[in-house]
Amino acid sequence: MVALPKQIEVDENYLHGGGILGWLTTIDHKRIGVLYGLTTLFFFLIGGIEALLMRIQLARPENTFLSAYLYNEMFTMHGTTMIFLVVMPVGLGFFANFLVPLQIGARDVAFPRLNALSYWIFLFGALVLNIGWLANAVPDAGWFGYANLTERYYSPGINIDFWSLGLLISGIGSVLSGLNLLVTVVNLRAPGMTFMRMPLFVWSVLVMFVLVLVAFPPLTVGLIFLVMDRFFGTHFYQVVAGATPLLWQHLFWLFGHPEVYIMVLPAFGIMSEIVPVFSRKPLYGYPVMAYSTALIGFLSYGVWAHHMFAVGMGPVADSAFALTSMLIAIPTGIKIFSWIATMWGGDLKMKTPFLFALAFIVQFTMGGLSGIMHAQPPIDLQQTDSYFVVAHFHYVLFGGSAFALLGGLYYWWPKVTGRLLDERLGKLNFWTIVIGFNLTFFPMHLLGGEGMPRRIYHYAPDMGWNTLNLLCTIGAFTMAFSVLVLLINILKTVRGGEMAGPDPWDGRTLEWKVPSPPPEYNFRQIPVVRARDQFWREKYGFETGGLQPSDAVRPPATPDALAGEIHLPAPSIYPILLAAGITMAALGMLIWTRIALCGAFLIVYCAIAMAFEYPDAGAQSAASAATATGLDTRKIGIWSFIGSESLFFASLIATYLIYKGRDLAGPTAETMLEVPLSTVTTFVLLMSSLTMVLAQDAYRRTDRLWGLRWLFATIVLGLIFLGGQVYEFNSFFHKGMTLQTNLFSQTFYTMVGFHGAHVAIGVIVLLALGAASLTGWFERHHRDVAVECAALYWHFVDIVWVVIFSVVYLMRAVTKA
Amino acid sequence: MSVGRYSHRNPLSGQGEGIRRNGPGGGFGGPLFSLLAGAFVRLSAARAFFFPLSPTTERGRVWASPRSLTPALFISLLSTLLVACNSRRFPASTFAPRSDLGHWVQEVYFEVIGWDVLILVLICVLIFLCLTRYSTRASEDQPKRPPPHPESLGLEVAWTAGPALILLFIAVPSLRIVFRSQTRKPPSDALIIKVTAHQWWWQFDYPSMSIHTANEVHLPMGRPVRFLLQSNDVIHSFWIPMEGGKRDVVPGHVNELTFTPQVAGSFIGECAEFCGLSHANMRFQVVVQNHVAFDDWRANEAGGPRIAAAGSAKQGERIYMTSACTTCHAISGYSAGYIGPNLTHFGSRATFAGNTLPNTPHNLAAWITNPEALKPGAQMPPLGLRGNELNELVAYLESLK
Repeated sequence: MVALPKQIEVDENYLHGGGILGWLTTIDHKRIGVLYGLTTLFFFLIGGIEALLMRIQLARPENTFLSAYLYNEMFTMHGTTMIFLVVMPVGLGFFANFLVPLQIGARDVAFPRLNALSYWIFLFGALVLNIGWLANAVPDAGWFGYANLTERYYSPGINIDFWSLGLLISGIGSVLSGLNLLVTVVNLRAPGMTFMRMPLFVWSVLVMFVLVLVAFPPLTVGLIFLVMDRFFGTHFYQVVAGATPLLWQHLFWLFGHPEVYIMVLPAFGIMSEIVPVFSRKPLYGYPVMAYSTALIGFLSYGVWAHHMFAVGMGPVADSAFALTSMLIAIPTGIKIFSWIATMWGGDLKMKTPFLFALAFIVQFTMGGLSGIMHAQPPIDLQQTDSYFVVAHFHYVLFGGSAFALLGGLYYWWPKVTGRLLDERLGKLNFWTIVIGFNLTFFPMHLLGGEGMPRRIYHYAPDMGWNTLNLLCTIGAFTMAFSVLVLLINILKTVRGGEMAGPDPWDGRTLEWKVPSPPPEYNFRQIPVVRARDQFWREKYGFETGGLQPSDAVRPPATPDALAGEIHLPAPSIYPILLAAGITMAALGMLIWTRIALCGAFLIVYCAIAMAFEYPDAGAQSAASAATATGLDTRKIGIWSFIGSESLFFASLIATYLIYKGRDLAGPTAETMLEVPLSTVTTFVLLMSSLTMVLAQDAYRRTDRLWGLRWLFATIVLGLIFLGGQVYEFNSFFHKGMTLQTNLFSQTFYTMVGFHGAHVAIGVIVLLALGAASLTGWFERHHRDVAVECAALYWHFVDIVWVVIFSVVYLMRAVTKA
Repeated sequence: MSVGRYSHRNPLSGQGEGIRRNGPGGGFGGPLFSLLAGAFVRLSAARAFFFPLSPTTERGRVWASPRSLTPALFISLLSTLLVACNSRRFPASTFAPRSDLGHWVQEVYFEVIGWDVLILVLICVLIFLCLTRYSTRASEDQPKRPPPHPESLGLEVAWTAGPALILLFIAVPSLRIVFRSQTRKPPSDALIIKVTAHQWWWQFDYPSMSIHTANEVHLPMGRPVRFLLQSNDVIHSFWIPMEGGKRDVVPGHVNELTFTPQVAGSFIGECAEFCGLSHANMRFQVVVQNHVAFDDWRANEAGGPRIAAAGSAKQGERIYMTSACTTCHAISGYSAGYIGPNLTHFGSRATFAGNTLPNTPHNLAAWITNPEALKPGAQMPPLGLRGNELNELVAYLESLK
């Protein structure tokens, strides 16, 4: 299929045209953003209803409105929905997706089809998570599903299977989104837009993208272990074989804590956009704000076990995590004070977005301060797993994140739809939600303080919790009313609202330059950026900023595109098909293996079809675009992917090391591993990297003959390596070591097996490259960078093997001290 | 209706909408006074927002400043906190410590709450000042020139170093308690109690006293107690709010919780880690007694069961020994089941079924008839006993004092 770029008419509204098929095949980041927005709004309502049902049950002691089973499903789905299907995707898929290209002066994201793929994967994953409602088997072990309650023995139904598979599927979508947008920010910034001239929203979500890439792999590994325990009889979390359920907690919270920062960083970014605009002053202390955002992202990796103060890690570990958790409060405090300092001396406009920003400051501060309490282990041991922590995280996630997101909704609604939301209804929405929110969640601090544990479907009447619970329920319904007001506002203005024009708020950043709603191609001419808050300075002159425009940055001689000749990639059917394939492969495990096989076939077919879909796109971007870093966008994409996969393998290797020496019986590394054979296969794999380099070099010299030969050599060596692995696994199997034998067997097979799968995928990619080169397609369309990307991936897989070989084989005799 | 629609060119111009300055506006002295005075004015402004009494002028209504409720909210929150320390109304309060550990935690708790309140008040005051001083009041068509914006390094250092210092003040006492409460050498005179958590009940064994009981644990006042926590199935959490913090009970690990109860009384314990269907029904009772009472209890508990007198209780004993009860339950000298709670002195317990039901014949009969109706997911099957047989079994069990 040859897909020619579309010829665009000027002034086309991105929302118009194409019909339903147009929306199903869209690759426009704005349309995808709108799809994310609608989906997350829908799940926000679902999650809200789940919350209301819980609050009805808890309004009175010993209520019988919901059974224990239903209640447990409700709190699980409320948490899972709000976190994975609302707050994170709306920040990543709606706000970041829609705004980043506009704010950095780009036409779209780095990989538009990947963007669409991320959305469809997210949607299908969300459906898998919720399919249980149709089968009376909704996930019911909490949103962080602690092992070993989630093991097959204690959760025999398919509830947890829907949960783990749904999360695995939608997790892929999130990682792809993060990767895509990270590469976009790094490489597609407009000429002159250095990192220190980016809007702070872009800074905040940039850190968020890095967190997404690096936080999801431990969750993926943890879920894979759970799926293996439930389907394949392994014992990653079961005590019977010497394993520990705490492994799940560590893996989960290694993801879980960065996840909460993933949820709050877009909110920080939105704050940093709204507060300056409605104070008509630039953001106070921009460099410090940027650095503190990056610091928060970095520190978020060091605090995960503050969720585990009660499990008995010992006083030293408790203290270490207490200190790091307190440390992360400092850059957060800097941000709060900087926002206030931005307002100070400004010219404040009390519009709905700004009201939400003000509420954010107070409510998030309250949540952060109760967080300081949680960071102290002695206090946390009273507060954790009680309603106090429920209050804490709702203050930061709802009073914090959600309020900022709502403010952002009111702020950018005119850009997305072309119409302003009604200001009076907006203020009513604001007031009712602030009152309702505090009425719902402040009493929960007291409930926790008075000993009410969380996740209980009923409580005794003589505990003193009755009135407070009733207050919480009243507050919850107030919030529901507020959401209704918001919906009415949306419905009322979507057709008949006041037209906004390009710049209704007197904005500072580039997205307010384009019409509302923007045309599909965003900018007629890519802007050249000479300072921070470029658009503001264009309106009010450069002198008002107090900064001089830098003339040292010269725009390139030929801008990215001249008006009248804008090339955009055409829509594609493959993203939705590939997403369907992934979902079928996962669900097939539950239902019918044939579905899984169909799914796998669809995945491979669509992946290859997408690779060959735009024959001329490669040439175009290589030749014309001047990227912000000077590096090819696709190589940065592969590097980002490698970064993420490193953590995937790190989690697998770490699990192997943690469980090493804990076996009570059965095969061990010393008794089973054949180092001579493995040395040979390792050598073979290393040589394949050499041949890969030679192939790269040959293609760079456009020597097709030798390029093909070295490519072929690499494939053969890779296959020999895989043959060696198969032989090794087979010999172990015949000696009686199966996947389920003991801890060594399961960690070894899993880790080496996944590595082998990565090699196999690499071989398939190289075969596809070889075929493309053999037919001359490759050279006709100047796709040299594809060899570079494949080579990077191949070398990465090699390096992972070197680590595994050293740690597992060479150090096999080293046991725990 | 004089609240005008904004010109779409620049809705921030305030056209059609006037904002009058509210409140004392900073000229009246100390921040505390303006905070309190502001609170009252803000409340009335809020009232004005929802129920405007003044006629709408050409400039529009009086818009309240958004944080008007915060100071009032604040004061009411603080007072509720003080009310919350009443332990009689709240039998599982964490604010009414009854042990050494509880008191250590309380000190740190209140110190941090104090700092938190101070910081929150500071933030609210700052916002309040921003709003009173810098909100737009004039209605202008064209936007004014943007205001100047000096930056101060000193301020940045202050709001970095300040919080860091406060955190240090918090961290030192807090970490001291971490080490004090988890000592390497437990007190040598500690009473060791092995706790085994099951879905959904608590098993208590006193190894030094040959006592095996369930769901109700007696402690001597003034003597350190060292709980050794193990789980029979999934992760639970052992929490007695009035005695201090909780400790998770993890299968495959032995966790410890040590404290010295200082006040006699009856306290509620809870499971604080979601463990399945009846997580909410997994409470336990803690009875702290003076030495005399504790010795009495111990002597009784360590001995065998009361021999049933002739009559209903004796009949009940026969029913017990010939029913499925013996498969799961233990009565010393009669049956040795270990799946369910030990019933040797069942009659002396004040509550049962995970401290969710008072121990009365009526409740016991209802439980035996259909355990799962009272405790979803309970593994005890209904025995199909009815009428006289049921009453006799109940009489027997209640006689096991």
